[in-house]
Amino acid sequence: MNKIQLHNVVPEIFAQREDIRSDVWHNDFCFEQGKSYLIKAASGTGKSSLCSYLYGQRGDYRGVISFDGEDIATYNTNRWCEIRQKHISVLFQDLKLFGELTALENIEIKNNITHHKSLKDIELLFEELGISDKIHSRIDRMSFGQQQRVAFIRSLCQPHDFILLDEPISHLDDHNSDVMRDILLREVRSSGASIIATSIGKHMNIDYDVCLNL
Amino acid sequence: MPKSLTLIWQLLRKHISIFELAIFFIANLIGMTVILSGVQIYSDLKPILTGENSLIGNDYIVITHAVERVGINTEVFSKEDIEALRQLEPVNNVGSFSASKFEVDGSIMFNGRRLSTMLFFESVPDEFIDVETRSWGYNSGDTTIPIILPRNYLNLYNFGFSSTQNLPQITEDIIKSVSLGLRLSGNGITDDYTGRIVGFSDRINTILVPNDFLSWANKRYADINDQDPTRLILEVSNPSEPELITFFEENNYEIENKPSESSKALFILKVCVAIIIAIGVIFCILSIIILTLSIYLLLQKNVNKLENLVLIGYTPRRVATPYKVMTLVLNLSILAISLVLIYIAKEHYMTYLSEIAGRTLTSSPTTAILTGIIFTTIIIAFNFFIINRKIREISRKR
Repeated sequence: MNKIQLHNVVPEIFAQREDIRSDVWHNDFCFEQGKSYLIKAASGTGKSSLCSYLYGQRGDYRGVISFDGEDIATYNTNRWCEIRQKHISVLFQDLKLFGELTALENIEIKNNITHHKSLKDIELLFEELGISDKIHSRIDRMSFGQQQRVAFIRSLCQPHDFILLDEPISHLDDHNSDVMRDILLREVRSSGASIIATSIGKHMNIDYDVCLNL
Repeated sequence: MPKSLTLIWQLLRKHISIFELAIFFIANLIGMTVILSGVQIYSDLKPILTGENSLIGNDYIVITHAVERVGINTEVFSKEDIEALRQLEPVNNVGSFSASKFEVDGSIMFNGRRLSTMLFFESVPDEFIDVETRSWGYNSGDTTIPIILPRNYLNLYNFGFSSTQNLPQITEDIIKSVSLGLRLSGNGITDDYTGRIVGFSDRINTILVPNDFLSWANKRYADINDQDPTRLILEVSNPSEPELITFFEENNYEIENKPSESSKALFILKVCVAIIIAIGVIFCILSIIILTLSIYLLLQKNVNKLENLVLIGYTPRRVATPYKVMTLVLNLSILAISLVLIYIAKEHYMTYLSEIAGRTLTSSPTTAILTGIIFTTIIIAFNFFIINRKIREISRKR
């Protein structure tokens, strides 16, 4: 998948508002593979909505979103499953981890269907992110910052053309944020994928190709 | 179990309430057991209800014209009378009694002495005979004639005569091994035959020979081809039917063997079996509802996890698998347990039923097993449908 195009897209709840000044809503815009994007937004401007539209989680928008020219409104569940396994990876703002499973199990539950990383790779990532001592801890016993890093590892456990990071470092300190950035850039370099990151303030220190105000 | 399934199972089983599962397991088990035992009891009772020597179901009655004056009752049933009887709703079949119109002299050797007596024969069409034997029938030229006696005769001898006369009691087998000398005469011809008793009838109170033999013999020794019968045997669905009784009264017919009270009691038994099956069906429907609700509730409780699984790339099919495996295991074990229960119950009641019927009854579990498999398949298919529908609903874009 090379292109994600937005044509005059706006969340339905904003449809009646005329005061919207946005680089994305009501505009034509294209996310291209290989580039990095930062979407800066204030709270309540539809940042997470955009992510869920791009991920097929919600469809409450006007306008057309297309992947390589195909209108995603026509995709069925199985097509979305394929996209979620092979083309678009997401780090959800609310992480969507399973509290009753351990950190490693949360990674495995994803990696079991993609077989993208070896156990050794996964353990190395835990180590790099400074949470190797938590690898067998239950997720609901970990801090949000630690959980964020687990969710980040999970998002790397699949092939992808676009990686969607919804406020990835909101609960990380600068050091951990830099570690995460280094891993991300390394992964993206080898996969040729595009980064789409959102932020309401703090953002990863990357030389973004495009910065958008939502 | 594959590793990916183990993890999903670990994740999804959290909300499974043992209490709920136990309730639906028990309800379903009761439902399945009741319905299958209904089927099993029905299939076990069916031969007694409808088969040979039946306790209930079709009954046989013998009718004659009422005797109005002392003397020989010569009133016969005409072809029209028989046809009118056939038209009656409760009457399934009508058979005529034929009687021997020639002299029969029967003799046996007993304790070195020859005992002889005058005899008579009657016959009815074969389908009315309640004795199963391969030796029934007559081909011209045969010198051995099969005979069926009423069981009453033997009982009368064993329990009335022999005990008061200090004579030994005799069993059916002994009688069957005795050969009877028969001398048939009439029309200026006298022939000797051997008679052999091949069985005892509970239904027909006369000395029976095969129909074929009697019509041949009547022709040979009495020059009679066809005779209008004085007695008829009727196969009826219910002898207490008012339509039947009214008809008999109007035509001045008399029932020779009045239907016993047992036929009414047994009719009630038939109704009871129907009620058991109806209760089984209700139970089964209820248990299917309980099961469906439980699955629905379980899916509903896990809705977030299921949604998240689909969002991280799981296909609805994969997410549904643990639930399907669970319903499969539960329903199949319910089927297995209820079949075992029925088998145990069957062993007990068959002994009892055999005592009532006065003979060894055989019982085959095939119908119950088949019904169980069909029901379980329907239930599983229905559960799968519910699971698929709910998971599709969860996976759909909002």
